[in-house]
Amino acid sequence: MLGLLKQRAAGLFCFTFLALGLVSLINPAFLAWGNLRDIAVQAAPVCIISCGLMLVLVLGEIDISVGSMMGVLAASMGAMVSATRWGLSPWIAVILTMILGTLMGALNGWLIAYLRVPSIMVTLGMLTALRGVTEVIMGGTWITDLPPGIRYLGTGSWMGLPICLWVCAGVIVLSTWLIHRTPLGRRIFAIGSQPRAAHLAGLPIQRVKFLVFAWTGFLTALATLVSVPQLSVVDSGIGVGMELLVVTCVVVGGTSVNGGTGHLSGVVFAVLLMTMISTLLIFMKLGENATYWSRAIQGLFILGAILLDHLVRSKKSS
Amino acid sequence: MSAVWQWGSLSRVRTPKPTMSALQAKQISRSYGGTRALSEVSIELLPGSIHALCGENGAGKSTLIKILSGVETPDSGEVTLNGQPIPLGRVHAVEQIGIVAVHQEPVVFPHLNTVDNLFVGREQSKVGGLWLNKKGMREQACQIMHSLGETFSLDIPVGQLSLAQRQMVSMGRALLQECRILILDEPTASLSARESKSLFATMDRLQQQGVGILYVSHRLEEVFQLAQQVTILRDGQCAGTQPTSSLSRSELIRMMVGRPVENPSRQQKKTKSKSDKPILKIRGMRRDPVFQDIHLEIHAGEILGLSGLVGAGRSEIARAIFGLDPVDEGEIWFEGRCLPEGFTIQDTMAMGMAMVPEDRQREGLVLPASVEDNLTLPSLIELSGWMGMHRKPRHEASRSLIEQMGIKTASRASSAQSLSGGNQQKIVLGKWVYRQPRLFILDEPTRGVDVGAKEEVHRMIEQLAAGGSAILLISSDMPEILRLSDRILTLCQGRIKGEIASHEATQEILLQWALPEERDALS
Amino acid sequence: MKTKWFSWLSHPESLLSCLTLVMLGWIYKVDPTFLQWEVQKELSTHIWETALMALPMTLIILTGGIDLSIGSTMSLCAITAGMLHQHGVPLPMGCLAAALVGLAGGWFNGWFITRLKVHPLIITLATMAAFRGIAEGVSQARPLSGFPKSFTWLGQASWLGIPLAGWLFLGCLALCAWIMHGHRLGRYIHAIGYNEVATRYSGIRVNRILLGLYCLSGLSASIAAILFMARRNTAKADIGAGVELGVITAVVMGGVSIFGGRGSLFGVCLGLVLIHETREFVSWHWSRDELNLLALGSLLILSVVFQQLLGHKRSS
Repeated sequence: MLGLLKQRAAGLFCFTFLALGLVSLINPAFLAWGNLRDIAVQAAPVCIISCGLMLVLVLGEIDISVGSMMGVLAASMGAMVSATRWGLSPWIAVILTMILGTLMGALNGWLIAYLRVPSIMVTLGMLTALRGVTEVIMGGTWITDLPPGIRYLGTGSWMGLPICLWVCAGVIVLSTWLIHRTPLGRRIFAIGSQPRAAHLAGLPIQRVKFLVFAWTGFLTALATLVSVPQLSVVDSGIGVGMELLVVTCVVVGGTSVNGGTGHLSGVVFAVLLMTMISTLLIFMKLGENATYWSRAIQGLFILGAILLDHLVRSKKSS
Repeated sequence: MSAVWQWGSLSRVRTPKPTMSALQAKQISRSYGGTRALSEVSIELLPGSIHALCGENGAGKSTLIKILSGVETPDSGEVTLNGQPIPLGRVHAVEQIGIVAVHQEPVVFPHLNTVDNLFVGREQSKVGGLWLNKKGMREQACQIMHSLGETFSLDIPVGQLSLAQRQMVSMGRALLQECRILILDEPTASLSARESKSLFATMDRLQQQGVGILYVSHRLEEVFQLAQQVTILRDGQCAGTQPTSSLSRSELIRMMVGRPVENPSRQQKKTKSKSDKPILKIRGMRRDPVFQDIHLEIHAGEILGLSGLVGAGRSEIARAIFGLDPVDEGEIWFEGRCLPEGFTIQDTMAMGMAMVPEDRQREGLVLPASVEDNLTLPSLIELSGWMGMHRKPRHEASRSLIEQMGIKTASRASSAQSLSGGNQQKIVLGKWVYRQPRLFILDEPTRGVDVGAKEEVHRMIEQLAAGGSAILLISSDMPEILRLSDRILTLCQGRIKGEIASHEATQEILLQWALPEERDALS
Repeated sequence: MKTKWFSWLSHPESLLSCLTLVMLGWIYKVDPTFLQWEVQKELSTHIWETALMALPMTLIILTGGIDLSIGSTMSLCAITAGMLHQHGVPLPMGCLAAALVGLAGGWFNGWFITRLKVHPLIITLATMAAFRGIAEGVSQARPLSGFPKSFTWLGQASWLGIPLAGWLFLGCLALCAWIMHGHRLGRYIHAIGYNEVATRYSGIRVNRILLGLYCLSGLSASIAAILFMARRNTAKADIGAGVELGVITAVVMGGVSIFGGRGSLFGVCLGLVLIHETREFVSWHWSRDELNLLALGSLLILSVVFQQLLGHKRSS
């Protein structure tokens, strides 16, 4: 199976490469450094959250509240730094936002792990409730006066690469270490693979679940901090649909929704692929109407991943 | 020559270690609902010795093991290790003090590789839990698996390994633990000769280190060659503990079955006339690797018993006949009509078959639903018309069934969950009895049922046969099978070992057939 | 005596009835004008679509499944009818086509669930994206309108103060109630939710029933889309966004166990009333729509937590 998964990551890599190649043939402007960098910048927050959501799916749970969490975090960050609202220093805002994100994830984790409420229900409720909280914080108006201190996070660069790419790279390295080099990583996969055996082996199932959800909240905060300040405006629609994009990337990237399997490289390539789709469509000169099909293509990808998953499963059992 | 024989000649020479007892279980009792699974069983395991545990299906072996390994708690009695009571009911805690069990069904994580499987939960890491010592763990895993004689790659996910290899991984995980007592439940059931040989070598090594081993097996030649002592369980009670050197194979079997049961009503069976054409005829039914070469016939009014050990394939045959599972090959004729390929449960039900499944809670009953709902579930089509269900006939049907089956319930509308095991079983039987099937397949119809209800169920089965139905009775309860059946087939490892008329059969003969012989070569 | 009290209280429907009465009482105290018939009529024009889709959703959740794609199916059906109308196809044919699209969408979900054994959550999450995506692509996110008067009349007409959509819902409710209580299908649905394996082993064609339920859900979404188009004289790809949350919340609040088996239509009706009144009252009294979302999400979480605490067991 590991072979097949590695195949999945490799397959995605090839697919991405081919798509890139094809598009460059039709429109060489695609390969311009500026364009590629824009795609990477767009993909970065999705990638950051996907690293967390992958572990949630490996556990056998799901989290569809990340988009609304982003909304709340964006709104609160904006409200914190905006001179017309709370006017706090960017540093404090950053720290508070991270804490808030982790707390929201922890709330999910507590309800799911300790109160044993099914994750779909908790996160479905959170998705709506937090969207409402976002609206409340925004108070009906957009935040337009983000100070340069915070905007640096979104627009600044270090050694030629935007900050978000560095953060993304850091998260990927951190996640790789977590999955492959820590006991916690092994236990996450064990619990997702066979919960009954995990119980008999005395693994701290509830604590692990709680931590994974809190971690996802933390990563969401990180993603918000490096993506929202890219624009000077914070509106209440931030993060809408993010959860679907992230789940699509994670599932397409080879993570089984039944738990137990998942490969980080597959997820990263899937993120690149999915965020490229809208841009691809534009560059393929299919006309401006082509971008309207991006959600359909997303859906198609996730359906394809489900079918592929099924084929792999039935091949295994026969 | 089998590996065991070569091994046995060495182990007989060994003498037991000092007399301080390692593991001692005193007066263990455990009941499930109304049935007594264990009744004041005591067993003593000396360090550095191999102690065998024998008994038929349902004798209480698995219950005892569950209690000793911390999966279950006993109702009464105590278990001590070197004089200290063990933390009952908590597997992890029991493992910590050194009692490790390797169950028959390997408990592994299928998506993880062997190294992870061995170490998950007790990973070795440097820098205080921040960096896994993968190299160290891998070396240790390699060492352990090599000592067990396994050379498969440690990187493959365990789910892709064969059953035997998974069993070895399970064993490896147990061995990794510092154990003072090792409990092995039918360890060689899925192993080949080569793997069993490595297992015995490992057991010998552990024995030398002073580990006490509790060895549960149906392979009597292993029991004689490996163990110094053997405890026999029968009907939840201890039938005796003897040194293996003082017992013969037939004596052991006799202790397992107890006194043969005389059944006066068997005389009546001989006078029953059988019709010529069989209701059910099976030729050459096969599904690899579960069962092969199944031929049988059942006539109207006849009760055919199917005996054998757990795992012999009896339930699988029943499910295949009823249409729940597919078959690779075979012809099944029902009342002269050949069943089409790929037939389903809807076909068999329409033809007049019924099946009471083995696991009544999971497969036989919709527990939270009412007694009435459960009783009428398979027959709602007949009890309905254009305008929906006919209330009166449905109430009448459930009321008469409750009376007919003798189901003790507060009302029709009570939840099935609230009833005792015996009454629950009557519901499962009743819902099929209502349909007046021509063929009735019963899989362990009195498992977990108290004595009174058991009698009633037996009477009902005899009544059904007298009424003209053909009955296929699967049971691990020897006296039950001997009493009710007209003929008995014994299954061993998926094949029919023997057929005998019930008035000629004894428990010893049936058990002889059921037990696997001197190592059939397994791949 | 004490046991009698508790047994009555342990039924979620009784608790729910109390809760509804308490809430209505409190609303009356705070702002009596809200409960006037005229006001209620005005605010309830859109509830019937949600209510209609809640019926098959109840049956689906009773079997232990879920359907997250109803909003997107609505969108796809609306676009189908709208685009066909734009291309000159008479509207009744367009509506028929929309109904077929809804059925097909539901069948698609059902096929994945019964044949490929995919978890309902995952496949309906995927079709939630796919269906709306197709609608967006085909319509290019442009609104379609200009439906004939005979059609929009359907949206305005009412009898005895209740709009046509309301009567449709009541009719379907009666049908569903009869199915659940008087027809064997009701017994089958509860049994499947409690224990699918045992139900299969009793000879019931579980796959057929599940497929039918998901098709029904798709059909109800298409009817809801038609009702919406008639009421608002517009068809757009963002119709029904978020409607699945309201439906699921109403069903779960109504005491239907998310693990399946346990629940009743009466409870769901109470749940619908509770959700609707809460939502409308929050907008009415505090004039802040955003509190709606907060209230709705919190209600869902609280009701599931409550169910969990009351000890609704998960069937293995």
